[in-house]
Amino acid sequence: MTENKIKTKKSNKTLQTAREAGHFGKKMLESAIRAQAEGKPIGWSMANWWEGDIIAKAMGMNLVYPENWGAFCASIRRAEPYLEISDGEGFPNTLCGYARNNIGFAKTLKENGYIIPDDAPGGGLAKPIMLLASGAACDARYKWFQSLGRYLGGVPVWMLELPQTGAREFFLPENKANNLKFIVSELKLMIRFLEDLLQCKMDYTKLEAMVDQAFKTLRLAHEVDLLRRSVPSPMVSQDFWSIMIPHFYLPDDPEAYAFYQRVVAEVKNKVDNGIGAIPNEKYRMMFGELPPWHSIGFFDDIAERYGIAMVMESWNYHAPTPMAEEEIDGVSDPLELIARLCYHKYTEYNQAALDFSAAPSYFSAPFLEYAEIYRADGFMAHPLMSCRPATYTLMQTIQRLEEKRLVPGVVVNGDIIDLRVFNLEEAYSKVEAFTETMDHYRELRRKAGMAW
Amino acid sequence: MEEQKKMGLQRAVDIYGHRGLRARQLKEEGRKVFGYFCCYPPIELLTALDIVPVRVLGNMDEPVTDADDYLPPVMCIFCRSAFDLGMKAQYNYFDGFIGAHACDGAERTAFIWQNYITSPCNFQLDVPHTTHGPALNFFKEQIALFQKTLEEFCGTQIQPDDLKQAIVLHNRQRALVRELYGMRKPDPPLISGTEMLQVLIAVMSIPVSEGNDLLQAVIDEVTTRANPHEAKRRLLVWGSLIDHTAFTDLIESSGFNIVVEDTAIGTRPFWHDIEITTDPLDGISDHYLNEVLCPRTFRETGSTYQADTDARFYYLKEFAKHWNVDGVFANIIRNCDIHGYEVPVVKDYFSEMGLPVLVIEQDYSTAALETLRTRFEAFAENLDGY
Repeated sequence: MTENKIKTKKSNKTLQTAREAGHFGKKMLESAIRAQAEGKPIGWSMANWWEGDIIAKAMGMNLVYPENWGAFCASIRRAEPYLEISDGEGFPNTLCGYARNNIGFAKTLKENGYIIPDDAPGGGLAKPIMLLASGAACDARYKWFQSLGRYLGGVPVWMLELPQTGAREFFLPENKANNLKFIVSELKLMIRFLEDLLQCKMDYTKLEAMVDQAFKTLRLAHEVDLLRRSVPSPMVSQDFWSIMIPHFYLPDDPEAYAFYQRVVAEVKNKVDNGIGAIPNEKYRMMFGELPPWHSIGFFDDIAERYGIAMVMESWNYHAPTPMAEEEIDGVSDPLELIARLCYHKYTEYNQAALDFSAAPSYFSAPFLEYAEIYRADGFMAHPLMSCRPATYTLMQTIQRLEEKRLVPGVVVNGDIIDLRVFNLEEAYSKVEAFTETMDHYRELRRKAGMAW
Repeated sequence: MEEQKKMGLQRAVDIYGHRGLRARQLKEEGRKVFGYFCCYPPIELLTALDIVPVRVLGNMDEPVTDADDYLPPVMCIFCRSAFDLGMKAQYNYFDGFIGAHACDGAERTAFIWQNYITSPCNFQLDVPHTTHGPALNFFKEQIALFQKTLEEFCGTQIQPDDLKQAIVLHNRQRALVRELYGMRKPDPPLISGTEMLQVLIAVMSIPVSEGNDLLQAVIDEVTTRANPHEAKRRLLVWGSLIDHTAFTDLIESSGFNIVVEDTAIGTRPFWHDIEITTDPLDGISDHYLNEVLCPRTFRETGSTYQADTDARFYYLKEFAKHWNVDGVFANIIRNCDIHGYEVPVVKDYFSEMGLPVLVIEQDYSTAALETLRTRFEAFAENLDGY
């Protein structure tokens, strides 16, 4: 383990709206605590790319997201005690940091008679009546909820299915219909489960309205991504990691939609006036995967020192590109719309995956497209000690970017939660040396006649 | 071939020691050979097309070097090792490669494998996480697409009777493996953990009919020979797979006989037969989704913690009882999330049975094994208190 000898400041978000976005995290936690006091149902949910959480919320479930709460605990450096509890329970310390954080908290919750301990960060997580797991992208996100049975015994876990067929298989004629049918069928099963649990019927009119709202919010979130193609970059990752909360977790919330209207306006204003997020943008980099939440100020420092703007992040946290009209024309069933949205999200880079031999279409392939669209000079890979599913493809991404796009990569090891494995001094040294590499590859791209 | 004339345990040792040899020979004779990952690809379809299925494994003896540029050190080292062997051309005789979404590590490795180690035919099999009805339907549809892919590659269609015949052959193999497992019930067991591992890896490296002949010969030999094994503490191995005899040798020279393994090279691929159904894909899909009991598949949670663990691990009670187990080794290849999350739960479950559990996270390297000896020896001694 490495001690951090340099203390970084908290991140200076460059957007005013990004500075306001923390409201949404607090809103989720506070509404669940309020709901508990009022005897309303509470669920803990994994992020599920808008597949199941909208349905649960439409049925009156108040959802909180332990992954998001884990990032919050890490950002205020309050995760360590929970990690130690998890380790003490016998869970390997190589498991997901968010999971260990949540397992540690669940144990304290149980020991406190399911009353949130006073010292829980952000007010803590209220006791759930169900756990909404997801197998999409990551095994931890159902194995972790399953393991909470030791502390929340009797709280049922609903496992959302989201198919992940391969890039070649995506193009087989029957594949799409099979996938969509499967997703819709599973959502119907989930509704039946929730109806039994909550003893109420799904209000499909309400669900339809929420899905419609979510589509609108996601479209705005994508508009922000489009604006970010500008040079200089109107916003950076430090902003994105704040503004992603409302579209990732609350796209069905009209307040999130209103928020994104303000984000679009603010970013557009910067684009229209040629205002960069950082004053001296010299290098444009992409960032993969989740950031070191405990040390976000690092990105401000490298912006200031080297003129590095982080212009794009991993595919999974972004809104999908809007679906073609013919995909949703005449589709009114909200479950079908949800299925098409999720399917589109998970498959939209399959062509890139084949073109660049960079399957899967999730994680790796999108960066190959982003490189040109966002005129990237480099890629920073942040292998996460405790988030392997997000890390598995990083080395391949580096390989393929360099080989196919003449965009070099640098590896800065760390973790989402555990600050002990993030060595700031080493990170600064690597980035400093990497600026020369980016200069070199910029010249190679120029000689190769590439557009950036 | 002289090697093929050997039968029984010595033949298993030979195949285990030269895993790709027989498949390479068959390829030279014109047979097609496909590699597959983990226990989820339905290899009956390969057999029905006269394709030789070869299970892709790693090598604890071989330092991971070539894979370093493609797979990060934080991922499952078994997957990294398997891919490393692929990059070192040790699987360069494959005509096809079948990846499966068994777990994140296997899924991503399979994708990256197909990006860098090209074969004429590839298929990525998505395996649902649940056993819901729609999941089973979807899985069957996936297998049907797999079948079409194979048929197009081979230029011939699988006839239902050929597929049923393949299922019969593989069921025969499953039954023979279970029979062999039965020979580990006596004390001392008639066959050691190391011998069993050699046999199981051997049958995963050769055509099913040859594997069945080998198993029958091993059963005959083990039944009739003077038992060379001595009574020791009886160990159940649960968790990540073990695919190297250096590991089983270490355990069995530290005061234990391994008598049953709930792992992906142990009971999991062999414990249930495939039902012969009118549409053979019904039986195949049901078997691979419902009956391969790996914690990667989510099972419905019960109304209590106890009910939940019973629903997921009931069969471990049967293993413990019928194989008269004294203790359990929970083997976790470092960074194996599927088993890592289950460690406290499985410990609870075995504790309820009065069985102590030794949990070891290990680095899948023979070079790091010897340091584990004292832990096994201490565990064996501690069993006296139970």
